[in-house]
Amino acid sequence: MSPEPKRFSFKAMGSFCEIQLFDESPVRAKNIAKQLIDEVARLEKKYSRFREDSLLSRINSSAGNKAGLAIDEETQSLFNHALNCFEQSDGLFDITSGALNQLWDFKKALVPSQEKIDAARAHVGLHKVSCQDSHIRLPRYMQIDFGGIVKEYAADSAASLARSLDVEHGLVNLGGDFSVIGAQPENTPWTIGISSPESKNDIMAKIDLINGGLASSGDYERFFMHEGHRYSHILNPLTGWPASGLRAVSIAANLCSVAGSVATIAMLKEEVEAKIWLKDSGLGHVYMDSQGIVAGADLKNKN
Amino acid sequence: MKNNASLNIIALSSTALALPGIALADAPPTQSTISYKLSNYQEDDLSRSEAPLGELDRYDIDVHQFQLVSPLGRNMSLHVDANYESLSGASPWFTSRSLDGEPVVNLSGPSGINDRRTELSVGSRYYLENGSFAGNIGYSEENDYRASYFSLNGERHYNNDLTTVSAGLSYSSDEIFPTDAELFNRVQDEDKQSTSLFISVSQIINQLSSFQSALSFTEQSGFLNDPYKLRDIRPDDKTQIAWSNSYRRFFVSANAALHVNYRYYHDDFGISSHTSDLSWHQNLGRTFQLVPQLRYYSQSAADFFTNVDDFLSPLSEYQSSDYRLSAFGAVSGGFSVIADMGSWKATLTAERYLANDKYSAYEVSEPSTALVKYNRLSLGIDFKF
Amino acid sequence: MRQLRNTLLLSICSLLLISCADVRAWERGYLAREEMAWDTDALESALNDHIFFSKEASSGGNSAAGGGCGCN
Repeated sequence: MSPEPKRFSFKAMGSFCEIQLFDESPVRAKNIAKQLIDEVARLEKKYSRFREDSLLSRINSSAGNKAGLAIDEETQSLFNHALNCFEQSDGLFDITSGALNQLWDFKKALVPSQEKIDAARAHVGLHKVSCQDSHIRLPRYMQIDFGGIVKEYAADSAASLARSLDVEHGLVNLGGDFSVIGAQPENTPWTIGISSPESKNDIMAKIDLINGGLASSGDYERFFMHEGHRYSHILNPLTGWPASGLRAVSIAANLCSVAGSVATIAMLKEEVEAKIWLKDSGLGHVYMDSQGIVAGADLKNKN
Repeated sequence: MKNNASLNIIALSSTALALPGIALADAPPTQSTISYKLSNYQEDDLSRSEAPLGELDRYDIDVHQFQLVSPLGRNMSLHVDANYESLSGASPWFTSRSLDGEPVVNLSGPSGINDRRTELSVGSRYYLENGSFAGNIGYSEENDYRASYFSLNGERHYNNDLTTVSAGLSYSSDEIFPTDAELFNRVQDEDKQSTSLFISVSQIINQLSSFQSALSFTEQSGFLNDPYKLRDIRPDDKTQIAWSNSYRRFFVSANAALHVNYRYYHDDFGISSHTSDLSWHQNLGRTFQLVPQLRYYSQSAADFFTNVDDFLSPLSEYQSSDYRLSAFGAVSGGFSVIADMGSWKATLTAERYLANDKYSAYEVSEPSTALVKYNRLSLGIDFKF
Repeated sequence: MRQLRNTLLLSICSLLLISCADVRAWERGYLAREEMAWDTDALESALNDHIFFSKEASSGGNSAAGGGCGCN
């Protein structure tokens, strides 16, 4: 007996998303899926950069306000995680890189002047942001973007909600960020295909997941060539230039939030350093390096 | 030694886990559940050699249990329990010696006992980030007995929820007004109070097993005699202590869970007991579960137990021929079949219970002749909505 | 605070004479299963408590008792 999962697809956080649930009752599955989708929608509404009424937009428009802006516990926790990523990566993973993002136009493939880059870098650096006593204080001209964290968090949060609703076998996929609840029935792991950065239709590797998360980072379709170098859309806040190390990384970890942070940090590191760091991390991973070579470890992740 | 990268990962996990959507707090139910269970409990009749005269039919009881558990706002749950029990048959009235000198039991009058018990209790649990607390009040009424009770308890999680400590207290005020009191010269209106305290600690041992240990104290005072027995005089105060231990283990390859429970009990009537039970919860696919269970119980006799009522001894002397105060052992086995169809769940349980002085782990100086054997059959239905 | 927690964890484990692993929230899938609960069927255990209470001298366990009945 190998039942088929009930699938629910939807669009959220600018991506194709899908929830798969094994539940004998379609009504119950639908009811659960609706609650999970609502949870994702709640987080999108709260932390979207593109919505003027989001909490994130209110935080960014409070930049320069000495009193700061009161934030809730969830936002503080997200900030703490972002600060932790910043510290653990020695400043590479920085949610204040927004000023740099505006400078680089990947569609036109133009390299901004070094002066402009330096000027923008003056408004980057998470250590300049204070978050104390339930208030966040952003210096003038600075902005934050939880984009690199919230999608993974939403996947975990939806999976956690599913567990609390007695789901034993399920999968949450938010645009390539996965959080799974248990294995598939009969202990079959979820096999997740990792697309190649060269073509979305090519699978460069497969990772087996049982209970945990998988996240990917890479220059999928968003990069440009400049003087023979391939630059990804992921910006290194320390140099102000796009990262040029690995082309794509996928990480399997106990939580999608952890996998996502590790994947982003790996993308920002120098290529050689990134490979060593991933090997030492002990997490299941697969990457494509600048030569287009695919490598990794512990792809049959046993979490 | 940990390398830098794995230290980075550990650090990253710590803040990721602190994210509120991920942190697994104690959660109130998100759905309502209505449960109903119908049980028939039937004691084996006594044989003529055990009761040469009078009634042989012992208790036959039908029990209807209803329960509603429902979320109440975001952080609370509501619990409503209602029980209805109808009972017929006879119970031991007095014991005597037969012509050949063996103790025999005499069951209560020809009409026997026809009783109904109705119970209603209502409670609520409030969930906090690190635990919960609950309160409950209840009332139970029979033809000859009334009990009003309340309980309060709370639990708190420690060590990232690896350890849970809970504690609670309950109080019950009971009133006893035997039927046909004047006709049989029984007491007319008596009362008793029970206060109980417990504390328990549960600990997750690893991904597959957990353990719980609990201590409870109960103090009863007031009328503790059996009003229907011709001669039954007990102290008017009783202190009980029980130490319970539970172990749960999941077997992944078998897809089954093992439950092991053990309880030691002692009271100042002089009774000690051991109770142990085992059950195996075997999943069959996603829908069915089979649960065989086995229980062994043995108690020592109360200091004042006698198997032949002595009507000549002074009334100031404690004495009781209640078989529940004798030394005996009991073995019971049961089997449940559970079908879980998502929002519906059905449970069928059959149980056989055999009490015998030969099964006793304690010394039996005076075996009781009124020990019970019974069958129980239950059908339960749960509906989630 | 963390130190206190670790001490508490250690002392509880040594009390139980067993070694306890640090089982993370996401590793508790098996423990969270219904058949692993302390009380898998509330009505069943209430009924059992009631019957055993009326047929045996012992009572008390890991929760506070309910009301009495004329059965004992």
